[in-house]
Amino acid sequence: MSNVQAKNLQLRNLSSRQMAFYRFKSNPLALIGGFIVISVTFVAIFAPYLAPSPESAGSFVDFRNRHAPPSWQNPMGTDNVGRDILSRVIFGYRVSLGLVIGVLGVAVPFGVILGLIAGYFGGWIETIIMRFTDVMLALPPLAMALAITAVLSPNLINAMVAITLLWWTWHTRLIYRIVKSQMNEDYVEAALVAGASHTHILFKELLPNCFSAVAVKISLDAGFVILFGAALSFLGLGVQPPTPDLGTMVATGSEYMPEMWWQAVMPGLAILYAILGFNLLGDGLRDMLDVEL
Amino acid sequence: MSHLLDIRDLSIGFKTYGQIRPVLHKVNLYVDEGERVSLIGQSGSGKTVTMRSVIGTLPMPPGQVESGSIFYKGASLLNLSKQERNRVKGTGISIVLQDPMLSFNPVLTIKRQMDDVVRYSDIRMGRKRSAKEREAHLIETLQKVRLQDGERILESYPLMLSGGMRQRVLIAMALLNKPKLLIADEPGTALDVTTQDEILTLLNNLVSEEGLSLLLITHNLGVVRKMADRVYVMERGKIVETGTRDTIFKNPKHEYTKKLMGAVPPLYGKKVKTINYKGSDPAIELNSVTKDFETRSGFFNNKIDIFRAANDVSLTINQGDIYGIAGESGSGKTTVAKMILGLTEPNQGDIKLFGRLIDDFKGTSEFRKLIQIVYQNPGSSLNPRRTVSDQLSVPLKFSGYESSQIKHRICDLLELVDLPQNYAGMYPHELSGGQKQRIAIARALSVNPRILVLDEPTSALDVLVQSTVIDLLNRLRKEFDLTYIFISHDLSLMRNFCNRVAVMFRGNIIETGNVTKIFEEPSHAYTRALLSAIPVISREEENRKPKINKKERDEVLASSTEMEI
Repeated sequence: MSNVQAKNLQLRNLSSRQMAFYRFKSNPLALIGGFIVISVTFVAIFAPYLAPSPESAGSFVDFRNRHAPPSWQNPMGTDNVGRDILSRVIFGYRVSLGLVIGVLGVAVPFGVILGLIAGYFGGWIETIIMRFTDVMLALPPLAMALAITAVLSPNLINAMVAITLLWWTWHTRLIYRIVKSQMNEDYVEAALVAGASHTHILFKELLPNCFSAVAVKISLDAGFVILFGAALSFLGLGVQPPTPDLGTMVATGSEYMPEMWWQAVMPGLAILYAILGFNLLGDGLRDMLDVEL
Repeated sequence: MSHLLDIRDLSIGFKTYGQIRPVLHKVNLYVDEGERVSLIGQSGSGKTVTMRSVIGTLPMPPGQVESGSIFYKGASLLNLSKQERNRVKGTGISIVLQDPMLSFNPVLTIKRQMDDVVRYSDIRMGRKRSAKEREAHLIETLQKVRLQDGERILESYPLMLSGGMRQRVLIAMALLNKPKLLIADEPGTALDVTTQDEILTLLNNLVSEEGLSLLLITHNLGVVRKMADRVYVMERGKIVETGTRDTIFKNPKHEYTKKLMGAVPPLYGKKVKTINYKGSDPAIELNSVTKDFETRSGFFNNKIDIFRAANDVSLTINQGDIYGIAGESGSGKTTVAKMILGLTEPNQGDIKLFGRLIDDFKGTSEFRKLIQIVYQNPGSSLNPRRTVSDQLSVPLKFSGYESSQIKHRICDLLELVDLPQNYAGMYPHELSGGQKQRIAIARALSVNPRILVLDEPTSALDVLVQSTVIDLLNRLRKEFDLTYIFISHDLSLMRNFCNRVAVMFRGNIIETGNVTKIFEEPSHAYTRALLSAIPVISREEENRKPKINKKERDEVLASSTEMEI
């Protein structure tokens, strides 16, 4: 009994950060998600050292060994020119994560700032920003991306631009809603009475209250950005060969279905693995930080 | 003889983060037929958990019964099957919840919501009634709570009713299945004091007319005195004292009960502290200030409704005054405060601060060094994501302090409000309500203002905490020669804290004067109605409250039994 009481006392003294970590720890799916995301990131960073045949990432050709099924030599088999699929998947994660960082690194700050401004100032500023956001939301994303990559030349950078142009809207809406509800709290007025500037209120008072929602949204977004990038590559509008990209690999591999299934299925599973990881992590973070999206 | 409701040795724990946190320890409580019993305690003492375990709505998990039992008419409630338990709920035991707004679904008519209660209990009890019969029953029940216009009320949506009417409908809903025991969780707490008084009288009448038993859960000792035959005092999940009302109020035995009694500010009698203080030069002058709020509606925002929040308000507040502005919700007291702070612009009239028009210098750091505000709810006025020292540094930073000075000043401020230095690094949720309010006071004082607007600074706090915060405010006033504007609906507190009082009613100031004059010889009928509705804790105070007859009362107060439209 005394032991239980001591443990209780110990728990009551936990800070909210420790409590949140406890909630995260006791959620096995979130832990799995976290593990997947860490493993994908690790593999992407150390790709040249981890890939069994790093040269497969380039325009390497080995026709004697083409269409080889999964074996100890090539755990995921080889593709139509004899390159090791596992090595290409490992390098493909680099491209995918680069895409995630590039897209979210621009779209999130942009969307968050617009949302903060629209929610805080209100009036005609809000009308302009939010109606513009609505218009952007109304555009079908894939058609928009097709249009952009068709006008500009199809490559990774332009795919990134296309996705970025559409992605910020969700963050604007999310932050706008949070700020609108936070504006009813007295601390905003209290800061005004204390003489705080608008920038101070926007970035020091309101922004910290948006952090948890943004963190969750980012981790959920990451999966979708990978998927979207893969879809563009699949259509031939994203990364161009010989750079390994998971979407392109599925596209070329699908020509050899179903006999040489590994060429499409293995990169497909790799996409699934990464997206699953980001989504599980996002769900776990949401439970941990108690945010509504 | 067995009791109607009998709780024996009930212990309940909550399982959080894999650990069991005890909430109730061996609670013993009983209610006999026709008896009015009150359960009193501060927030977090376990009152609501007790109530919920009786009615069977305690979420399990995380809640779990560790030991003990609950008997209703001799049958053990905790052992009943879910179906049998549901049958007791509503027909045997019924409940009136605290917040009359949150208890209704805003998109359904009252009729639909009341009818559901009857329909489902009919199904459970195996009764058959036609829709017409049920409606007749609804109207009949509404009449019991003195709502004569039953048909119209049934057709309306919750938003169309006043707070008092909603509370009445809520009581009617609890009475629909003719329960034996009515549990009321803080009835009327969310309402104005005059409406609360009506609701309490109604409950008292219902108990005697319908032969009900009442279990009243409240934190307000004045309400208990009016409503209870027997009292249980609860502290941290334990019943610390029980007895008849008179013994508890005349000679409380337990330390905690004594402390509670002592912390309630007296309205009349010897214990009242009168502040005889005369302010010197005028600090704030309001000269026939009027404020209108427009609400636009209609398809093209073309319909404009004008609501006059402050009408021709003239006030002079002297330096050193503790000036109380009293009034019920919607009377315009917060609007007046916001105009003084320069946060809202008046439509007409002018406001002077130390002889200067505030329009000339509001928003400057000079203005901020004259006047600051402490809000009602520190949970909302402190940013949950910033540490105490972050929050305290804001006014300092924008008044030109340098970062080395700011650190020193924060330490001084924490000392000033009796908090240890290490609180600087904490987040608001790590502090209790009283501590949070101290931080809010420290923030308001950080730039050494001369006037402090206190917008209901203690109404979110328990009565014991309230008295310590009031002591702190009194000490700070002496130390820094501050002028306070104290906005509140709690007149008992105002009696002991302020030296001058203004009473506001629907945007108008109807009475101003010294605190003794307002409380001993109130001239306006509304002031008298307000004073006579305050629940007090002794007979002496009850007798000295101003009397008001029904005719006068009806003239100033909207009745909560009739619809306005």
